[in-house]
Amino acid sequence: MKSRLFSLAIYMSATLSGMLVLLYPFFLPAVSQQAGFGTLRVEQMPMMMTLLLGLCLLVLLFEAQGPMVNTKLIALLGILVAINSALRFIETAIPGPGGFTPIFFLIILVGYIFGGRVGFLMGALTLLVSALVTGGVGPWLPAQMFTAGWVGMSTPILYPLVRAFAGRQTKQGSRNINPEILLLAVFGLLWGFLYGAIMNLWQWPFIIGPQNQSYAAGLGLLATLQRYLAYYLVTSLVWDAIAAIGNVLLILTFGAPALRALRRFRQRFEFKYTPESSTGGNQQGRSLTG
Amino acid sequence: MKQPWVWVSWLIAILVILSITRNPLYLVIILMCVLFVGLSLRQAGSDIPRPISLWKLAGWVILLATVFNTLTSHYGTTVLFAIPGKLPLISGRVTLEAMIYGATNGLILTGMLASFAVLNLALPVRDLISLIPRAFFPIAVVTSISVTYLPTTLRQFQQIREAQAVRGHQMRTLRDWLPLLMPLLVGGLEHAMQLAEAMTARGFASTRPMSGRGQVYPRISMLLGLLLLALGWVTQLGSAGVSGLAMILSGVLLIIGGLWYQGRQSPRTTYHRKAWSWQDWLTLVAVAIVLSVCLLPLPWLSRQTLYYEPYPTLTLPPFSPWIGLTMLGLLIPGLLVLNKNLTEGCNLNIRK
Repeated sequence: MKSRLFSLAIYMSATLSGMLVLLYPFFLPAVSQQAGFGTLRVEQMPMMMTLLLGLCLLVLLFEAQGPMVNTKLIALLGILVAINSALRFIETAIPGPGGFTPIFFLIILVGYIFGGRVGFLMGALTLLVSALVTGGVGPWLPAQMFTAGWVGMSTPILYPLVRAFAGRQTKQGSRNINPEILLLAVFGLLWGFLYGAIMNLWQWPFIIGPQNQSYAAGLGLLATLQRYLAYYLVTSLVWDAIAAIGNVLLILTFGAPALRALRRFRQRFEFKYTPESSTGGNQQGRSLTG
Repeated sequence: MKQPWVWVSWLIAILVILSITRNPLYLVIILMCVLFVGLSLRQAGSDIPRPISLWKLAGWVILLATVFNTLTSHYGTTVLFAIPGKLPLISGRVTLEAMIYGATNGLILTGMLASFAVLNLALPVRDLISLIPRAFFPIAVVTSISVTYLPTTLRQFQQIREAQAVRGHQMRTLRDWLPLLMPLLVGGLEHAMQLAEAMTARGFASTRPMSGRGQVYPRISMLLGLLLLALGWVTQLGSAGVSGLAMILSGVLLIIGGLWYQGRQSPRTTYHRKAWSWQDWLTLVAVAIVLSVCLLPLPWLSRQTLYYEPYPTLTLPPFSPWIGLTMLGLLIPGLLVLNKNLTEGCNLNIRK
């Protein structure tokens, strides 16, 4: 129980710290007593953000991998990350339209079936491995890994919604629409836009653009939000809309069979090794899900 | 150079300089150093397939950054011409200062992209994986499995595609991808099953897990580190004092300390340990000198030449020959690669 609370505290602190780093343009007027970024210069901010986000990511990864000394989970993640990275590799070679990328389909489904912890690792490691093999390692990588990890980590919020929808459907006796797939598709749609919006935050304060779209220190929360929305609408909405629609189409088309396959393998992976002479030393009995 | 960390230190030096200076003269020197090292590596045979060549990418980045800033930023006193009308974003004065500022942004971005591209050229994937700290050994294993299995996955995808094509399967709609993707997923999961059994049979993760204080201390340290990091960040943004930076530094140290403590519990064995060569030391010394010159307030160097802004009126960027000369130290990895190539070429000729 203590360990779980500790774990929860670490997850919350790392996530909140990461959000503080990314969302600073919105709360800066409330804390700042002077224009600018304290003792930091404008050019130093992206590096500072990369460093801080990288550290938050390291702590999250450390906590998520905690009980992962489990061959089944390591092998499963290794192979699923390889499949997802292969999809990204193909996408890099033959670019899809706009921001379309097939990687979130598997991140969302794996997070939903195997739990938030595995989902986080799936998201973060997919971006890491695909960056390694496509030569995409760069200062943007920690932010990408963090955000993709959030996509996978946030899937458990669907469980109560799916239960509620499924219960209502059973009462009404209708079996036409699979509520699980529908909710996952909506989730994919939202993350299609959110991923772009979060990644934009990494660079938005440093881009000099038209006055009503660019960041200016000293504005209030609402004015900053308004400017960011204007910037997002002009520069990213169409791009992210294609990504979001791509997620929806992939989940609607391949979601049901992929969920069946992942569920079947989750059951097959839930066996236990019981070493004859071991007194609790072996970790194989641990649950696979996070 | 054999040590991956030496390449990482070279990359850090480049990124630090790119983040502190906007002087185009220094930026051009850094960019030339990066390109020289990249070309030396290419000549040595290191290459990775890219969707777009680095030269083209650099050209586009600089051009786009220049055009974007010239058209959208109307600051500066040297007016080149004015765009009439009420076009949102574009109408207004077009200034030389905005153009130079945009080009400088492009140079910085190109420098960052190019330096990471050089790192990807210099280090094979196995060396990049070896950079993962010991505290993250399960993640390093997952990454190794993924990188190893990736070519197999691509081959499997090709085989499935060919098998379906032989059966007359045609790709017309999105749904037609289902017979390709599902066998790939199910095949991969079967492979994961076999891999897990093989790893268990070979005794992977069969050691007694760490418990008690050994597991609690690093987590406490990291939790405290995170809190200090968040508090320091807010303080830093809120005031110009150094208390914020001090808190951030303490947070960083606590997190790194926690990871280091945890890493000590997971010993790493290496079949063939790479020895430190004189080339590694030489590069490290050069990197240390470059960073010292750019970061330390040494009295005999005019460090203010690093902080150049073209606004409000364009002036010639100042230049300190000592700083420029020291930055050339970043050429050393490229020179060492060229030297190695020449030596190997000569040895081959002698043998012939």
